[in-house]
Amino acid sequence: MQNPAIEYDYTVAKWFSYLAILFGILGMGIGVWIAFELAFPELNYVAGEYSLFSRLRPIHTNTVAFGFTLSGIFATWYYVGQRVLKVSMAESKFLMAVGKLHFWLYFLGALLAVGSLLVRYTTSKEYAQFEWPFDIVVVLVWVLWGISIFGLIGIRREKTLYISLWYYIATFLGVAMLYLFNNMEVPTYLITGMGDPLHSVSMYAGTNDAMVQWWYGHNAVAFVFTVPIIAMIYYYLPKESGQPVYSYKLSLLSFWGLMFVYLWAGGHHLIYSTVPDWMQTMGSVFSIILILPSWGSALNMLLTMKGEWGQLKENPLIKFMVLASTFYMLSTLEGPIQSIKSVNALAHFTDWIPGHVHDGTLGWVGFMIIAAIMHMAPRFYKREIYSKKLLEMQFWLQTTGIVLYFSSMWIAGITQGMMWRAVDQYGNLAYSFIDTVTVLHPYYTLRGIGGLFYFLGLFMWAYNFYKTMTASKAIEKEPQFASPMAA
Amino acid sequence: MDTRLIQGVAYLGLIIFLTFILYGYIIHLYRSEKKGKRNYEKYGKMALDDELSSPPVEPLEENEKESK
Amino acid sequence: MFSWLEKNPFFFAVGVFVVIAFAGLIEIVPDFAQQSRPVVGAKPYSLLELAGRQVYIKDSCNACHSQLIRPFKSETDRYGMYSLNGEYAYDRPFLWGSKRTGPDLHRVGNYRTSDWHANHMWEPTSVVPGSIMPAYKHMFTNVTDLETAYAEALTVKKVFNVPYDKDIDGDGKVDVPLGSFEQAKQRAMQYALQVAQETKRQDLVDMVKQGKIPEIVALIAYLNRLK
Repeated sequence: MQNPAIEYDYTVAKWFSYLAILFGILGMGIGVWIAFELAFPELNYVAGEYSLFSRLRPIHTNTVAFGFTLSGIFATWYYVGQRVLKVSMAESKFLMAVGKLHFWLYFLGALLAVGSLLVRYTTSKEYAQFEWPFDIVVVLVWVLWGISIFGLIGIRREKTLYISLWYYIATFLGVAMLYLFNNMEVPTYLITGMGDPLHSVSMYAGTNDAMVQWWYGHNAVAFVFTVPIIAMIYYYLPKESGQPVYSYKLSLLSFWGLMFVYLWAGGHHLIYSTVPDWMQTMGSVFSIILILPSWGSALNMLLTMKGEWGQLKENPLIKFMVLASTFYMLSTLEGPIQSIKSVNALAHFTDWIPGHVHDGTLGWVGFMIIAAIMHMAPRFYKREIYSKKLLEMQFWLQTTGIVLYFSSMWIAGITQGMMWRAVDQYGNLAYSFIDTVTVLHPYYTLRGIGGLFYFLGLFMWAYNFYKTMTASKAIEKEPQFASPMAA
Repeated sequence: MDTRLIQGVAYLGLIIFLTFILYGYIIHLYRSEKKGKRNYEKYGKMALDDELSSPPVEPLEENEKESK
Repeated sequence: MFSWLEKNPFFFAVGVFVVIAFAGLIEIVPDFAQQSRPVVGAKPYSLLELAGRQVYIKDSCNACHSQLIRPFKSETDRYGMYSLNGEYAYDRPFLWGSKRTGPDLHRVGNYRTSDWHANHMWEPTSVVPGSIMPAYKHMFTNVTDLETAYAEALTVKKVFNVPYDKDIDGDGKVDVPLGSFEQAKQRAMQYALQVAQETKRQDLVDMVKQGKIPEIVALIAYLNRLK
């Protein structure tokens, strides 16, 4: 039908995949390091002031969220986008150029921004630490991505947009809105002509700043860690398993549900703070409602495998994706539970919160991106996946890591929360603060080990990917469904 | 407290309105399928059959003309 | 209507945007004006305190310390009076934090002294055995960037009408003077000397006397202000 000479062009998708692996190793390596710093404080000093916990923590979160995850999102967009629109990037020189520019600007911006955090430039707002010049770079990168999305849609052959694209579009819009509003800041140098040119001051003060920040912070999780990952799983799981989505109608319905409900739930970060009561309650209630659309998507994924569960045994990529949706269900249940006011009173400010975050990020986001990139590898290079056995080992090692991580953080968080409020028979506080710190040592150690397992798994992934690229057996044509693997 | 009252009424009204939209959407999805106007489930094929050479599930009109 | 939306990417995107923008509009906008009203007697940060706040932010103290006391007996017993909305009116950005790896600091000025802080930041375990907080020794040699702090104060004064050089409590006196950079700097130097002497560390006093305020001194001035 079409000119047979045209093929999908994976150049940009490949580049972003390399970057996802690179940032994954970098970001999670720092994560493991600072996890051990909490258990063994001497580790803080290995690189002088540059390895202090407080310096590295924002670098960890930003590298993982905006390095690893965004690279994964972009890589899959430049792959899935072409395929479900049935149009190749090679057909438009303009879009190809935009894609490449997008990559280089993103890479350069990421390096500069991370570097700026290392030398103490930060606005202190979580997941929005970058100072204003880097924010501008982020906006430019985002605009380029938007051009790429809507440009490719503009030249499509498929009239209807596949559900994954809905989620990519929502990611684009959601992050754009949130990022712009939360990073409203006034560069002090431009107003006064003195001081550090990179310094800025937030447009909002106090409680208002907190509201905007957690409206952003919570929904950055929505639009970076949830929505685009759902976009991925709606493409890769059906494709790898050869089964169409269980119910396409349900996927549409949960899309609108998620879009509407998610944004209201930000208030659950501010329960018992000084924001108005009605907002706290709203955050709490909507967090519970959020279970519905979240589980709608997750069950839809699991039911896609209906009657095909044999594949779970055969295919490690299916394992990764099925466990990812399971972790998605776990963390979308855990989150609402933590949003209930009485539970939040105990859980807030404790290690249960990072525990919850890592269920989602390691289990759901990490596994999905790993699976997506390994699914693409044989299609990128027209070679088999180098080793199925290694992939299996990676799966089990990383799963063990996640279990160690969240179980230790559950115990740590609840222990700490209980000790903070414990009183003796006269009604006096039973423990001084330091008691509640030293008691966590074994759990911090265990968490570090869990993180280390996951981190080692990343190297197996990187090695497997590299070998697939260079040394694996060539295949004649692109596999339709399950990715071919050498034992 | 007046703004609070307006806020509350507007909020309730909104919830009712959205409930209608939501159920309307569900009914729309199922009814248009029952009438045979559209088949949503076929869109699931877009992920499975995504070769550049395979025919689109629903081609854009311009392309149809071109290929004719 | 629905099927039309699914095939028109532009209007689809508009639809999605409306749906996601809605919540923020309803939740954030109504209380915005009320929320920014300061409590009676709240005063903006002096130049040295603001510089200390910038140090607090630069080294991400908020990664482990909250500044938000919740209204529970266990918290008010431990940290003091629960936090009020209007106390944060001059906090740009807010520093509530999200994790208490260390204790809350919102009223730390009530129960810690300058020399305690100096000892603690030099070697945490010397005053809190078992502490997992690292030492922040670079703050004892880095020189405070008063110019940037002044730029920030002047910016919020100009742009957000933060009441510097004004009589806030109506007693006929200026409460927090800012003035020109030279004036503000001179005041900060005097204040810094006082804090440095309180730390009982000669090296800090010497540095201030040479006209260089170590970051730790500014930071302690800020922490003492948190009450």
